[in-house]
Amino acid sequence: MKKQSLFARDSIYMLIAAIVIFSLRWTLPLLGGYSELATRMLIFSILVLGFDILVGLTGYLSFGHAAFWGIGAYICGYILLHFTQNILVAMILGVLIVSIIAFLLGIITLRRHGIYFAILTLAFAEMFYYLALAPLQKWTGGDNGLTGIKTPQLFGLELSGLAMYIFVGIWTLIALYTARRIKNSPYGLMLRAIKSNEERLTFTGINVFRYKVMAFLISGIFAGLAGTLFAAYETYVPTESLHWTLSGEIVIMSVIGGFGTLIGPMMGAAIVLYLENVLSAITDQWNLILGVIFMSFVIFLPGGVMSLSKQLRRLFSRDQVPANRTESQGGD
Amino acid sequence: MSNQGKKTKTLSRRSFIKTGVAVTGGLMLGNQLGIGPVHWSARAQDYPALGNFPVGDKVVFGFNVPQTGAYSDEGADELRAYELAVEHLNNGGGMLATLMPSSLTGAGILGKEVTFVTGDTQTNPDAARDSARRMIERDGVIMFSGGSSSATAVAQQYLAQEAKVIFMDCLTHSNDTTGKDRQRYGFRHFFNAYMSGQALGPILAERYGTDRRAFHLTADYTWGHTQYESMKQFTEAQGWATEDNIMTPLTTTDFSQYLTPVLNSDADVLVLNHYGGNMINSLTQAVQFGMREREVNGKTMEVVVPLYSRLMAQGAGDNIEGILGTSNWDYKLSDEGSQAFVTSFEAKYGFPPSQAGHTAYVQTLLYADAVERAGTFYPPEVIRALEDYTVSGVGPGAVEYRGCDHQAFHDILVVEGKAPSARDSEYDLLETVKQVPRAEIGYECDFFPGELGPYGDES
Repeated sequence: MKKQSLFARDSIYMLIAAIVIFSLRWTLPLLGGYSELATRMLIFSILVLGFDILVGLTGYLSFGHAAFWGIGAYICGYILLHFTQNILVAMILGVLIVSIIAFLLGIITLRRHGIYFAILTLAFAEMFYYLALAPLQKWTGGDNGLTGIKTPQLFGLELSGLAMYIFVGIWTLIALYTARRIKNSPYGLMLRAIKSNEERLTFTGINVFRYKVMAFLISGIFAGLAGTLFAAYETYVPTESLHWTLSGEIVIMSVIGGFGTLIGPMMGAAIVLYLENVLSAITDQWNLILGVIFMSFVIFLPGGVMSLSKQLRRLFSRDQVPANRTESQGGD
Repeated sequence: MSNQGKKTKTLSRRSFIKTGVAVTGGLMLGNQLGIGPVHWSARAQDYPALGNFPVGDKVVFGFNVPQTGAYSDEGADELRAYELAVEHLNNGGGMLATLMPSSLTGAGILGKEVTFVTGDTQTNPDAARDSARRMIERDGVIMFSGGSSSATAVAQQYLAQEAKVIFMDCLTHSNDTTGKDRQRYGFRHFFNAYMSGQALGPILAERYGTDRRAFHLTADYTWGHTQYESMKQFTEAQGWATEDNIMTPLTTTDFSQYLTPVLNSDADVLVLNHYGGNMINSLTQAVQFGMREREVNGKTMEVVVPLYSRLMAQGAGDNIEGILGTSNWDYKLSDEGSQAFVTSFEAKYGFPPSQAGHTAYVQTLLYADAVERAGTFYPPEVIRALEDYTVSGVGPGAVEYRGCDHQAFHDILVVEGKAPSARDSEYDLLETVKQVPRAEIGYECDFFPGELGPYGDES
């Protein structure tokens, strides 16, 4: 492939992404949502983007991503509350600490596969949840969460409302571009090789463990970044940001969107948040509806929303597409 | 391999566009459900733009209650009471006849018809804020109310202050809500842990004597802590000693490991600073452990549950018999206001309201009354109308929202669990031991440190 065409394709891709990301605030109210929901969607889309690098590309299903998100949020919130209103300082420190924790956790948990890995990550995340809830409540505010965080500033500019939205939007674009570059790089190819057959890769003499730890670390950094943005946007950190239900929600978002496609999980995040927020205003049975939607995806469209378009294209196009690699999911 | 990879890449762009179009289309269809956007408005008439302003001849309230999760029953009762309040505001009835003094007309508020939207807090502060944001931005609510936990109440108060939309707390008992975390845009009618201690202390001394040793089990979160501190302070003031306290994790369901140390200690009173499912489990297990038949130092051991709710009393069943606690309100109260509310609630739903329902109803009415008195929906003016204002006819005695911390002061109840044989219905679980007058409970404004923050219209 020629270098130029790759560049052109990348820029078209990013341009469309930018248009969607920066128009969400104005299109959402037309769809029964509200403008601030757009900011929330973008923050969550960064989180699932990182999750997709670990699960979609590398094939390791983590049930503990709430830990990175929550720790990032708490650190950022704590710094904003007690030390400085400068958002960049809070974010950098938050992401830095999260990456150290992700690195250590990766080294410990990645020695196991499949369900054991999932349970280990879940256990560690729960550990952080209980730490925040009780022993550390002097700093985390316990059950009440971290309250009273002042509006963060970026070089003197108060980040709230539209300014916050644009700030988050820029980060979402950076995150998407980075994730896409990782996915399309030889490095990403290596991660996908781990997913398809880790043993074979080991036999070729490659240090698989190093790649896995890196994938875990990158994924944690994305989650931590999203967490810091969340604290800055909400000016509040609830203990629920460390809870396992959030980890579960991330998985649901990714399944609905389609693992391994990057843009799919981002859309999944938007869809789930939209349904959660708008449906819950209409009926108190919204959880049931969300459950049915989730199950339908697992049963009928295991590749998520992204595979929907592929299925449709298969109907309309004579040019048969090879079997979708992202379709086969689950922990084998 | 690389060929295939390339193909996938080209596909992902096309599929992205197609899927995007499909999703947008789908969402647009969803919009036909009749929930079209209501534009957020901060229109100023005589006042600078701030918060929300009613559009047209309607005004919207937001009722944000737990519809899923552990407290969904409480949330459902709150919602019933809110709906009743809206009905009465529009058409008269209920406490509108007993509220003194009253500016309510029974024909809406300031001539505008009251409507409402609802949301699900999931007993999760994050979800509660998310839901409240939607109400404020999309539905343009002029006031929102609800909640069945102090964490969600506190989280929403901060949002209210930020968005400059008034929040009327519902069921929240922590001292922090109008203490450390008090906000200018938040008001609480419900009583707090400190008042529970004040009311309960003398009754405990009267019943069980002044020479007692108490062992506390406390739910390990902020409400539990404030409850424990208040109970400790007021029982020690009666001459009691505090043997020990164990913080139990919020998610505990088996309390035996915490009850064993109680049995091994010298304590002759067990205080359960628990709420909801925690309390149901700890009390049931304490009874199973034979705590209530136990003799220590020549005295019968007693169990105390500082905060009662109907839901908990139902869950704990027969075990509540003779156990003392406090309550904000009870449907058996005989004052005019309570009876007017209970009568109309029973007429509509067929069973009596809970204390959560009462607070929900009163909060809505008192907000509406303040708007009428202020003559405008402009939030700073409404807040000033609510502050330091006393009314009666919404429960026993008078009610005053204190201007310095937005805590309401009114009579509260010391209650005792009824024996199954003494109950006249499945809702008749608690016997009022004493109606503690407002004069006997209270504290100085600066007792808890905290700042209300600005009204928002200061220049």
